Amino acid sequence: MKEYDAIVIGGGPAGMSAASVLGDHVKTLILDENDALGGQLVKQTHKFFGDHAHYASKRGFEIAKELTDEIYKKPVDISTASTVIGIYPQNTVAYVKDGREELVRYKKLLIATGAMERQLPFINSDLPGVYGAGAIQTLMNQYGIFPGKRFLIIGSGNIGLILAYQLAQTGAEVRMIVEALDKVGGYEVHANKVKRLGIPILLKHTIVKAMGDESVQGVVIAEVDDKFGVIPGTEKEIVVDTICVSVGLIPLTELAEQAKCKIEYIPELGGYVPVRDERMHTTNSDVFVAGDLSSIEEATTAIIEGKLAAMQIVKDLTKTDLGKEISDELKTLDIFRSGPKSFKIRKGLEKMGIKVPEIEVPKLFQTPIENAKSKLHAVIECTEEIPCNSCESSCKFDAIKVGENINTPPIFDPSKCTGCAVCVTACPGLAIFMEKLDESPNATIGIPYEFLPLPKFNEKMWGMDKEGNYVCDLTVKRVVKNPNKTNIVYVELPKEFVDDVRHVRYPKKESPFVCRCEEVTLDQIEKIIDSGITDFEEIKRMTRITMGPCGGKNCKMITLGIISRKTGIPISKLSHGTSRPPVKPTEFSAFLRGDEK
Amino acid sequence: MIDRASVVVVGGGIVGSAIAFNLLKMGMKNVCVIERSYVSSGSTGRCAGGIRQQWSSSMNVKLAMRSVKLFEQFEKEVGMNIEYYQGGYLLLAYTDSESDDFVKNVKMQKSQGLDVDILTKHEIKEKFPFINVEGVKLGSWCKSDGHANPQIANIAYAIAIRKMGGEFITHTTVTGIDVQNGQIVGVQTDNGYIHTNTVIDAAGFESPKIGEMVGITIPVYGERHQILVTEAVNHFLDPLVINFNHNYYVRQTRHGSLIMGQGDVNPAPGEDIGNTIEFLEEMSEKMVRDFPIIKNVHIVRQWSGAYDMSPDAQPIIDESKSVSRFIYATGFSGHGFMLAPAVGEAVAEMIIYGRTVTTDISNLKMDRFAIGIEREHNVV
Amino acid sequence: MEGRILEHPILSFTRQKRVRIFFEGNEIEAYEGESVAAALHAAGIKVLRYTPINGRPAGFFCAVGKCSSCLMEIDGVPNVRSCMTKVRDGMQVRRQHGKGDLV
Ligand SMILES: Cc1cc2nc3c(=O)[nH]c(=O)nc-3n(C[C@H](O)[C@H](O)[C@H](O)COP(=O)(O)OP(=O)(O)OC[C@H]3O[C@@H](n4cnc5c(N)ncnc54)[C@H](O)[C@@H]3O)c2cc1C
Ligand SMILES: Cc1cc2nc3c(=O)[nH]c(=O)nc-3n(C[C@H](O)[C@H](O)[C@H](O)COP(=O)(O)OP(=O)(O)OC[C@H]3O[C@@H](n4cnc5c(N)ncnc54)[C@H](O)[C@@H]3O)c2cc1C
Ligand code: FES
Repeated sequence: MKEYDAIVIGGGPAGMSAASVLGDHVKTLILDENDALGGQLVKQTHKFFGDHAHYASKRGFEIAKELTDEIYKKPVDISTASTVIGIYPQNTVAYVKDGREELVRYKKLLIATGAMERQLPFINSDLPGVYGAGAIQTLMNQYGIFPGKRFLIIGSGNIGLILAYQLAQTGAEVRMIVEALDKVGGYEVHANKVKRLGIPILLKHTIVKAMGDESVQGVVIAEVDDKFGVIPGTEKEIVVDTICVSVGLIPLTELAEQAKCKIEYIPELGGYVPVRDERMHTTNSDVFVAGDLSSIEEATTAIIEGKLAAMQIVKDLTKTDLGKEISDELKTLDIFRSGPKSFKIRKGLEKMGIKVPEIEVPKLFQTPIENAKSKLHAVIECTEEIPCNSCESSCKFDAIKVGENINTPPIFDPSKCTGCAVCVTACPGLAIFMEKLDESPNATIGIPYEFLPLPKFNEKMWGMDKEGNYVCDLTVKRVVKNPNKTNIVYVELPKEFVDDVRHVRYPKKESPFVCRCEEVTLDQIEKIIDSGITDFEEIKRMTRITMGPCGGKNCKMITLGIISRKTGIPISKLSHGTSRPPVKPTEFSAFLRGDEK
Repeated sequence: MIDRASVVVVGGGIVGSAIAFNLLKMGMKNVCVIERSYVSSGSTGRCAGGIRQQWSSSMNVKLAMRSVKLFEQFEKEVGMNIEYYQGGYLLLAYTDSESDDFVKNVKMQKSQGLDVDILTKHEIKEKFPFINVEGVKLGSWCKSDGHANPQIANIAYAIAIRKMGGEFITHTTVTGIDVQNGQIVGVQTDNGYIHTNTVIDAAGFESPKIGEMVGITIPVYGERHQILVTEAVNHFLDPLVINFNHNYYVRQTRHGSLIMGQGDVNPAPGEDIGNTIEFLEEMSEKMVRDFPIIKNVHIVRQWSGAYDMSPDAQPIIDESKSVSRFIYATGFSGHGFMLAPAVGEAVAEMIIYGRTVTTDISNLKMDRFAIGIEREHNVV
Repeated sequence: MEGRILEHPILSFTRQKRVRIFFEGNEIEAYEGESVAAALHAAGIKVLRYTPINGRPAGFFCAVGKCSSCLMEIDGVPNVRSCMTKVRDGMQVRRQHGKGDLV
């Protein structure tokens, strides 16, 4: 088995800058699963921030090229298209190249595997046309293929903002960016760039569902309240063919876990991250980390962290005195992290026991309220000028006036209305409803209903709004059958929704998928938790969540979030399972020795 | 936590859970299971889930046959679908002496009333055309053998135990047992003290540690076994196939994934449940040779667990001679899942009636080691 | 705006050799170096498989081999991640229905 002084896993900015330094001093191997080195950078067409020493105002793919050129000049063994599948005892790294397993040993290991995108479960989020931001960049900027025509972007962090801009550059139409928070997540300049192209950023909005049969044809978005709950009645349909999910990145910690590095949940740094010291040394004395794996940050900090780790490895292996160089890099890092946007990183690092100079923290604020009405009466929602006065004729109490010209929209006098509801059954447009709002927290509404089966007393149904979106659960209180087949269903519902609910339907089993691999829905997980099984490991065994081919990369955090929300136990206190090799599904044939392949 | 129980079961794996379930079913009250971690965190959660009756020792055959009866009723009785599937077991023989053993075993198994047959190489090829039968002499085939999901079975028991009024306490460790004048008075845990006069040691490969708490020696040790699972593919493999000669077993779950393992070539001691790359290499080599169609199937996960090994590879189920009402059920040597339902029933009978009623398990007492008893051969 | 980008304000795309790949038996345009999922997307094909349990259409999601949403049957082998598999001349690509057949 080949042995190296240092092995670097991941050829993004962190891994490349590290390998460059390492190559000057010790026998080094760098592994990356892509065909070319560069990591995230190869997909970035925009100019980067930073300083001159760190490639400021160069475009991402150009930086990737410079770093790559540099590393190819060094005495470093480079193996691309090499997927590391596990870290094994005796400092062994197993990877697959050309469909075959390879094994190598290290004295010191640097893991710089970066991060992957978070998923967001919403109804139909598994539909073709719902893509991660990275996927869209891969298609558009790497393969030169149009990813779609009309886009909705979820998330206004830098990635979402940049993506919007990049899409506009290909001529695509970005309908809007929705952001659940009350302010833009990314840099203001990035946001302004996007805004002046005419792309709106809808704050306090989220996606409710994607629509379409075989692929995305539209999307329903809605406003959210402070707790990120959808505000009923604010739903909107938008026609798009592609939905881009860019709601943040999660460090790829699996290999670090397998190398027995301690992992801790520090949301400020991106979720579960390897515990490490200032010089990127993990709790395993032979293992270092750098870049997005250690904290979701920037290419600039990734490069510096890579160098730092490399210098420390060189120092450990060769006793070369790099004290000055190391302290210089540490100072540069502090400067990069001193701005207000880095406050989360600073807080996260502090939790790990690493102190960074401080700057004030931005504040948050909050929302509007609604109003109400009273008594059992008709509600007429007919504002269009059509030739019709059936309501006026049906009312024996003179409460509805259309007048001489039957094209006039009706005028209604609630003081004369007795609540007989004859007009409801009379209106050809089904535009009249009954409503009663007293002191109780519940209201009653009567809805014209022309479907089968006819609801029954005390049945639970869904209240639907004008666009057919679910508003709330409600209870059937009375069903009045009429000879003309326009029956009236009276339902009781929370007062707040009287103005929204205009239709009732039987509940439909529709719940977003949390796990794509095993097709597990939010509802299934919640039911298991409700049945008293709250341990992540037990939920996993019951639902197969995280047991599919992706190994839980996508659904683990979402599941932990659901458990935490339902049990009130903070995510950091939950057990989160064990990562097991292979990290990527690997064919049996990869492990075959000899010429049988 | 409760502070009093009629029985405390130490270990909430499949064995402890099955015992507690049967105690409750037979009408006992205040039954309490104490589990150090989550449900199925021990060997049960790492197990392959095979359920077979084709053993070389008649005791194992009898117990397994009773278990199969109980697995057939599991969903109705315990209340959950555990992916139980009677797709059979196919054992392959490669040498003359192995063939002779199979023929002898089948005769013995038939005498116990098991519907089992010898298949010729040709019949195997006919039935399972995708198996490479090169070198195979014959096979032993029992169609009522099968498999189930051990983790769900374990959780199913736990849920049923709670529903029936029993206590199933997780994330709690038993740290000591109070014995006065040869009588148990209570159990100490890291979450409090429970008064009881009966303790069942069902702590799997760690059962000797519980034995030590009352001063008795249980000759059981852990032995690492590795195992892997693939992505799901459409159903093609009915039986669980065991190949002693090539040292592996493989089955297809109802979910579609293939689960397979082997006896470690260099078994690591029980506390080590790490993974090795050699395992993937060894498995790939022989599995692709014997099942060429899986060559491009993806492995998605490997893990390992401990067999709770006894000196003759058969369970040890007994009550202590020195401490009254200290009962242990351990040493399942890689087949504790399939035996659990029958063992649960037998141990519950021992406690409630003072003797077993349904299945006689007196052969499994500790004193057999003094006499000397034949080892179970059919183990991977 | 379908298919391949020919002009771009920042990037220039030089395509490698044209190869023939077949989707459900029909030839589609593809160039060496492209992933199967990318070539299919350029041809307007977004549904890469139907899921085993609910029979729902699924396409790619991450496009970098991390989510297994893009499994297809390629040259007779099921469960291949089409986003990580490069096109090869003569390649036969099929939508996967369910978990994939070995026999
Ligand atoms: C849209 C977007 C815009 C950005 N804009 C900016 C910006 O303007 N300025 C800035 O400073 N930063 C920016 N960043 C952030 C920057 O790109 C990242 O912080 C940086 O790339 C992290 O570097 P890294 O080396 O840690 O990880 P990555 O660049 O993600 O590289 C990790 C590498 O490891 C490989 N890998 C992972 N697992 C394995 C495995 N098992 N086997 C083999 N290889 C593996 C991956 O394939 C990848 O090549 C942006 C990021 C994005 C997504
Ligand atoms: C890889 C592998 C494959 C297998 N395949 C099969 C198969 O196909 N068919 C089959 O029948 N069997 C199989 N087995 C064997 C089977 O898994 C075991 O025999 C069976 O699970 C034993 O169950 P148990 O309840 O005795 O032990 P366990 O499941 O280990 O349960 C013991 C429990 O005791 C708990 N515990 C320990 N100490 C304490 C304490 N001090 N306080 C509280 N709790 C404690 C542990 O946390 C554990 O949960 C396999 C095993 C392995 C490892
Ligand atoms: S799209 Fe995620 S693995 Fe292919």
